[in-house]
Amino acid sequence: MACVNPVPKLYRSVIEDVIEGVRDLFAEEGIEEQVLKDLKQLWETKVLQSKATEDFFRNSIHSPLFTLQLPNSLHQTLQSSTASLVIPAGRPLPSFTTAELSTSNSSASFTFPGYPIHVPAGVTLQTASGHLYKVNVPIMVTQTSGRASILHPIQQVFQQLGQPSVIQSSVPQLNPRSLHATAEKPKRIETVLQQPTILHSGTVDRKHLENATSDILAPPGNEHEIMSEALLSQPESSQYIRLPGVVFPPQVSQTHVHGEPVLGVAGSMTQNLNGGPLSTGRQGAQHQHMSDIQLRVLKNRMFGCGSVKQPRNTEEPSSLPVSEKDSNSQMDLSIQVMDDDINEIIQIDGTGDTSSNDEIGSTRDVEENEFLGIIDAGDLKVLEEEADSISNEDSTANSSDNEDPQIDVVEEDPLNSGDDVSEQDVPDLFDTDNVIVCQYDKIHRSKNKWKFYLKDGVMCFGGRDYVFAKAIGDAEW
Amino acid sequence: MAYQLYRNTTLGNSLQESPDELIQSQQLTPQLALQVLLQFDKAINSALAQRVRNRVNFRGSLNTYRFCDNVWTFVLNDVEFREVTELIKVDKVKIVACDGKNTGSNTTE
Repeated sequence: MACVNPVPKLYRSVIEDVIEGVRDLFAEEGIEEQVLKDLKQLWETKVLQSKATEDFFRNSIHSPLFTLQLPNSLHQTLQSSTASLVIPAGRPLPSFTTAELSTSNSSASFTFPGYPIHVPAGVTLQTASGHLYKVNVPIMVTQTSGRASILHPIQQVFQQLGQPSVIQSSVPQLNPRSLHATAEKPKRIETVLQQPTILHSGTVDRKHLENATSDILAPPGNEHEIMSEALLSQPESSQYIRLPGVVFPPQVSQTHVHGEPVLGVAGSMTQNLNGGPLSTGRQGAQHQHMSDIQLRVLKNRMFGCGSVKQPRNTEEPSSLPVSEKDSNSQMDLSIQVMDDDINEIIQIDGTGDTSSNDEIGSTRDVEENEFLGIIDAGDLKVLEEEADSISNEDSTANSSDNEDPQIDVVEEDPLNSGDDVSEQDVPDLFDTDNVIVCQYDKIHRSKNKWKFYLKDGVMCFGGRDYVFAKAIGDAEW
Repeated sequence: MAYQLYRNTTLGNSLQESPDELIQSQQLTPQLALQVLLQFDKAINSALAQRVRNRVNFRGSLNTYRFCDNVWTFVLNDVEFREVTELIKVDKVKIVACDGKNTGSNTTE
């Protein structure tokens, strides 16, 4: 221990200081001491899991109860495996092999020695609570008092799932208006699903849902299949496939791009909530986030779907092919459209909300030339908030603008994607595991030679933590 | 007020996650969790200033630099960190540095 880096001790002392500092605070608030202890345990557990410190636990508490401390990356595994813990080979854990482990090749419960144990593969661990865990890969077991840490990921999952209720209130505004159901999907699936879903979603928008739903259901059948195929690659996708009351074909939209919450298919989400929250959360934070949004969307849709559908009865031939841009713009336009029977959902290219008015009309015109000719301004105006001017513009500018907006829209994606590439470099560049958080005394530069005078820093390299009081560095740009 | 800079560390992140679970079970209020984090800020700042005494040298190539709101953010490539006891090499490292000239007034307790 003496030769170990000072980080564990430092962290220990910091934790102690913090806990002591908030102890009074907790007492004032009337929080139980146990909560404070739990907080401390959780904190220490996580720090330990991060492998930033090796010998972290020095508790003298001896109890038969020990829980498996799994790295955060194993949350997925925890979700998927209920009966047995299958721990994927994670990071190499510091080994504190004990003699007991070598002898306990079969299930056995033993008193925790008080320091993290490296459990080799093949060992079956049993906690005092009776849980039996078969260790397939080497894991590290640490001692914690209180509830099992394994529950944490589940709690986190439920926590995520529990959020939709809060978010729900913010989404309703979109729900009744959204004619199409959009589902958040993992990025990978988005592009795959977009096209098939877009086609149908476009029709849905045009069609005005509800009666269209029956029509849409037929074509969406393909979509669902397509989606199911694509979705199957991800556990969450199954959620979307199971849509008993799905009215709208799920659409995949890049929420990241739009930045707007996407309405997910209601039916699937509810089922998922009930049946498989774990699977939802399995994907990790990102997926959980998606599921959250899906959930809220789901609820919103369920509330608004029925009402939304029906007004949309005015149907136009649903044979209109929907361009991708339309589908993207659906969200924006749908909000505006609302209750129009005409149901011409003005689709705005997702990239430009404000400037999309002109495009909206033009795009609509382009796709619904036949229909617009008949319906045209009057109907379209109703749909749009600024319909009057826009529709006029559209009618006049249709011919000329039809292609341009489309072209622009079509080109924008590649253009934007080009921009995105460069943009992604920066975020990716900054997203690294090796981070140093510190303060600078002086930063100096000569031509392209930089000198750094840093202090009071915490470094994290590949999960391991280091600290420094001063750091001096040179770099060439 | 101490820098909240250190919340994005292993210690800080784990501390931010812990109260969430307690909040879910209604054992902790968000306000209280915030107080905990503030306490952490003070503690980590003072601990780093007082309890850490080692020095590190490093050398590498600078990929990007950014100075915004008195916060420097660098991304270095192929960096070698040399401490008395060990040498650490990393391909890419991001350095986030707040102004340390006022550190004396920042650390409390």
